[in-house]
Amino acid sequence: MSTITKVFDWVNHRLPIQNTYERHLSKHPVPKKVNFWYLFGALAAVVLVIQIVSGIWLIMLYTPGEAAFASIEYMMRDVDYGWVIRYMHTTGASMFFAVVYLHMFRGLLYGSYQKPRELVWIFGCTIYLAMMAEGFLGYVLPYGQMSYWGAQVIISLFGALPYIGESLELWIRGDYYISGITVNRFFALHVVALPLVLIALVFLHLVALHEVGAGNPEGVDIEAHTDQDGVPLDSVPFFPYKVLNALVGIGVFMTVFAIIMFFFPEGGGYFIEYANYEEANPLVTPDHIAPVWYYSPYYSILRAVPDKLGGFAAMGAAVAVFFVVPWLDRSNVASIRYKGILSKIALVMFGISFITLGYLGTVSVTEHRKTMSIICTVIYFSYFLLMPIYTSIEKTKPVPDRL
Amino acid sequence: MNLIAKRFINFYHLSLIFFVLFCIFFIQNTFSAEGAPCKDYGECDEFKHTLTDMSSLQRGASTYLTYCYGCHSLEYSRWNRVASDLEIPEEIFFNNLVFDASVKPGDLMAGSMSKTESAEWFGVAPPDLTLVTRLHGSDWVYTYLRTFYEDSSKQYGVNNLVYPGAAMPNVLASLQGNQQLICKQIPVIAKNGGEKRDDFGNTITKEKCGFLSVESGTGILNKDEFDKLIYDLTNFLTYVGDPDKVERERIGWYVVFFFIIFTSLASLLYREYQKDYH
Amino acid sequence: MIGLTSAFGAAGVPFAATPFIASWNPSASAKAVGAPVKVDITKLAPGQQIQVGWRKQPIFVIRHSAEAIKNLDSSLSKLADPNSDAIDEPYKNQNPTRSKSSEYSVLVGVCTHLGCSPKFFPEVEPKSWDASWTGGYFCPCHGSTFDLVGRVFKGVPAPTNLKVPPHNFKGNILTIGEDEEMS
Repeated sequence: MSTITKVFDWVNHRLPIQNTYERHLSKHPVPKKVNFWYLFGALAAVVLVIQIVSGIWLIMLYTPGEAAFASIEYMMRDVDYGWVIRYMHTTGASMFFAVVYLHMFRGLLYGSYQKPRELVWIFGCTIYLAMMAEGFLGYVLPYGQMSYWGAQVIISLFGALPYIGESLELWIRGDYYISGITVNRFFALHVVALPLVLIALVFLHLVALHEVGAGNPEGVDIEAHTDQDGVPLDSVPFFPYKVLNALVGIGVFMTVFAIIMFFFPEGGGYFIEYANYEEANPLVTPDHIAPVWYYSPYYSILRAVPDKLGGFAAMGAAVAVFFVVPWLDRSNVASIRYKGILSKIALVMFGISFITLGYLGTVSVTEHRKTMSIICTVIYFSYFLLMPIYTSIEKTKPVPDRL
Repeated sequence: MNLIAKRFINFYHLSLIFFVLFCIFFIQNTFSAEGAPCKDYGECDEFKHTLTDMSSLQRGASTYLTYCYGCHSLEYSRWNRVASDLEIPEEIFFNNLVFDASVKPGDLMAGSMSKTESAEWFGVAPPDLTLVTRLHGSDWVYTYLRTFYEDSSKQYGVNNLVYPGAAMPNVLASLQGNQQLICKQIPVIAKNGGEKRDDFGNTITKEKCGFLSVESGTGILNKDEFDKLIYDLTNFLTYVGDPDKVERERIGWYVVFFFIIFTSLASLLYREYQKDYH
Repeated sequence: MIGLTSAFGAAGVPFAATPFIASWNPSASAKAVGAPVKVDITKLAPGQQIQVGWRKQPIFVIRHSAEAIKNLDSSLSKLADPNSDAIDEPYKNQNPTRSKSSEYSVLVGVCTHLGCSPKFFPEVEPKSWDASWTGGYFCPCHGSTFDLVGRVFKGVPAPTNLKVPPHNFKGNILTIGEDEEMS
């Protein structure tokens, strides 16, 4: 026996390396036929790694507190390749949300939340929630005008809560305005607390997924037909087949990532907002404030409701409603391919209203746009709240036996 | 090896590469102006930067340091970095363009005016301009500097088309001359596209206001020379706002090429494995 | 015994949590900032507004023209809370300007909706947000509107009128953040 084998055996008796490798990689069965929609989970994992690595380096260059704005320009100009690290992180933030939105849409499209994958879905929604918090906290750190006024609006949302609202706001800020004190605590949450939570949630998301197995665009249960060893007939081992498949997707994704990062890091003002090139000024609100694109649908919903508490509640409900989707869908099929016409119309309407709300959230309010956002908000909620009705009355097509 | 090379240059990959290159080229042209779009501030003239034109940047830097730096710092930028990026030998740079003898090459261009004093003089402290082209956009800067007009109701006797109520004197007035907002008689265009004429064959005109006109002979430079001066100045400010832009895009091409080739190799490898599975 | 041990242990949790939660309160140094500011209001022309900073908050000082004061009542029916009953109004029913002066208004320029700073649009002309605009404040963030003395209009997201800070006038000097007569 060679030395390497001996060392491996020694470790393997004390740490389940081989078992884990076989269980989760070389022998983990995944459906043999899926489409590109099934790549975005892997891409999200790639961005998570990019964000963690670039984030660690940013901590080395960044100064929290009210000196934050100057420290950003310091890392962009005085530090060799500091701009690479920062643009990687800002591009990564937008790309993270882009792939997660597509990943979530895949879930709605092919019923990935249906039995037995409810927990996978709920962990996923929790990740999304944690990401929104993480993104918001990170956005405040440069302490530009958008950071300041974005934070002012979000923190003021808590002021809408009856009785405790105002003291809660003060407690979150730790000062009478968003000062260096606020930036410092947001920094701690952004770089330590929430990343720990996120990583733990991602771990749970994957453990739960590997327990029940990945879904497929046909909504076929591949576990129903297995060979004598219990391996599903319509499956391939995760490694190397799916890994190589993902590698192609990652290559395309990284090409897009590099194009944005090196040629359009501001993304036309959607990825880095122009107003954030001015240091925070508590006395002047910029003429036009808009959240970054990945929050703008919810911001539109907030603006559509002409009531402080109502707006806050609608916005919260718009995110919270994702959690209960597994129990709203009463259909006997999973995939949109076999669902009826009502589901298809509903999903298209939902997609349109989500994108319209997103657009409306980035532009200023006029009477006409306000009406539009109200209509879209109604469609948004109808998609979810009417789901038990339209999924149970429509006629579905029979699902094939095999993939 | 030959086989791989043959496969590599297949239609699919070629079209992917062309598509990506086309996208970069197309979008880069569309977004070639730096910073925010001008639409929030009114109508702006388009500005296309030429960040590799060193003589333009050098002229711009010289104009900035002569006319603007007295009030507007570039506090995130360093003297020696500007000198080396603009390919100006340090000796010449510090002897001819830096008017403060106490400045050391590695210092930030922090300005010579105290913020509180200047706030008292002007009402607001003159803003730092390091990031102005990223905040307002270079189109806006280019237009702003050329659209001051006489307005006696204002504190400094001038107003601005794209930034009404600007609390700043027109420092470049001696170069540009006295610019006024005037009204003009312009021909009315008939439905068929020609000019409308009355019964006697004279062109029918109507008055339209908001045109800028420089009193001839009042400025040192003529219109083209002045526009050129502002072009160079804006070009310099675009460089200051994003000093790594040229380097970033140069590296970007290599990175994009790397990932295109990586994607192609990965897809070949994947196909190879897929074959032995089926 | 299990119950007792768990109950005793659980009782310790709030005590352990206290320092972690309390450390987020404003520190003594944060509380100490906030001295009153003095403004010379001689230069202010009728119809004009200036903005000063107090406790890092924008404070609006407006000098109204006689005509504007007269017109205040014309849009009374559009206001959500014309008498400022819903908030703690320091100088209630003293002047139509809501301040201690019959000519000047002093307002905290922070929208009561989500904290943006509204913009001053004194002109009486149709605006994109309101075709029958009679002058006042418009918040660019969420479209809340207030009249010239900071009273909120109906049907906008802001729930209450803009706040009036403690202040007093001594000749040409307006002091914001302090009022000896109150207290």
